[in-house]
Amino acid sequence: MNQTISTTFTPSEHEAEKASNSYLMSLIAVIAGLPLPILNLIATFAFYLGNRKGTYFVRWHCIQALLSQASLLIVNSVGFWWTISIILGSESISNDYIAYLFAAFIFNLIEFIATIHTAIQTRKGKHISWWLYGDLTDLICKPTL
Amino acid sequence: MKKVFAQALLLIALFLASWFAFQQIDWMKIFHVEQATKKTEEKLGDLFWDLIQKTEKVNHNKFVERSLDSLVSRICTANDIARENIKIHVIEKDDVNAFAFPGGHLIIYTGLILSAENEAELCGVICHEMAHIERNHVMKKMVKELGLSVLISMTSGNSGSELPRKAVSMLSSSAFDRKLEHEADQFAVDYLIKAQIPTEPFAEFLYKLAEKDNAINGYLSWIGTHPEPKERAEFILDYGKGKPEKAESILSKGNWDKIQDELKNE
Repeated sequence: MNQTISTTFTPSEHEAEKASNSYLMSLIAVIAGLPLPILNLIATFAFYLGNRKGTYFVRWHCIQALLSQASLLIVNSVGFWWTISIILGSESISNDYIAYLFAAFIFNLIEFIATIHTAIQTRKGKHISWWLYGDLTDLICKPTL
Repeated sequence: MKKVFAQALLLIALFLASWFAFQQIDWMKIFHVEQATKKTEEKLGDLFWDLIQKTEKVNHNKFVERSLDSLVSRICTANDIARENIKIHVIEKDDVNAFAFPGGHLIIYTGLILSAENEAELCGVICHEMAHIERNHVMKKMVKELGLSVLISMTSGNSGSELPRKAVSMLSSSAFDRKLEHEADQFAVDYLIKAQIPTEPFAEFLYKLAEKDNAINGYLSWIGTHPEPKERAEFILDYGKGKPEKAESILSKGNWDKIQDELKNE
């Protein structure tokens, strides 16, 4: 899923820390606001806004972290509102619902592990490009502002 | 761009495939969801029934009990409903009311039986309440109105007596939401048709109660708590039009009259 891309560019200590923090933001938000899927996205978006004028390396990783959270938002929001409609509405617990929670959990877990790995590698100054999100980030984030 | 699009599609397909794969496992059985729900329902039902027995006068007339049992048994047999799932009780009260509560309990007030002109009218109301039980409307309503945590605390006996009293009062004096009431009417008509009981008397019963003088509306709880009786009656007439082709009465005219006499004399 992740691949390390060797580049001639070596980020400074400060850049590597900021880029790594963009991933850590989403992890902290997961711990703080697990029931509310939107919190992860807000946290990474806020971090991106703060660094949108940063260096290419920092911006690139902020966008990759943001995009990965955006797709999880869709999956988690469906699970969240499905749960709310069971607790407060007319829906009842079904096999489909439990299966959905498991599928969502697996995707969240993969994302969680990938995020930790990327945060560590980025902190070391390595450029990690995710499958799909890396390519998507390349399309959005250009070297010049 | 094409590559990203293809990857995105593949990711969506992967998610759907994993969801589909998980769906193949019977989680409801693994987690005992149905048994747990049933146990909670039964506990709540017993709790509410104990409360009703303490606060209301239960009619134990054997003839009335046997006659109602015949009506419910016919409806259950014809509709593949387990007879033991429906526990019918008669309460001595002038209000024209009937309601269901968890655990398959169905309460009918004597006022409602006395207001019905024939068994088909009464069967219409019974079928409507049975539909609420069978379609799980009762638990849905309770979860919606009281919340899951309150219901669980009630079953563990940590809620005192005030909450169960409020819950019974809520179930006996308020309707389900419009969608659930409509669904209950639709299923009631289906039950009646399969049990070869005419559907028109159910609609007529609604018309009749709706047109009663406002002065006595205080007693017409069942109609007062249910939405748009005329609209419902029209739906029942339309939905059950021409069905069942052949109707068969369950009780003889003499037995029906005897029920009325016995209840009037008590």
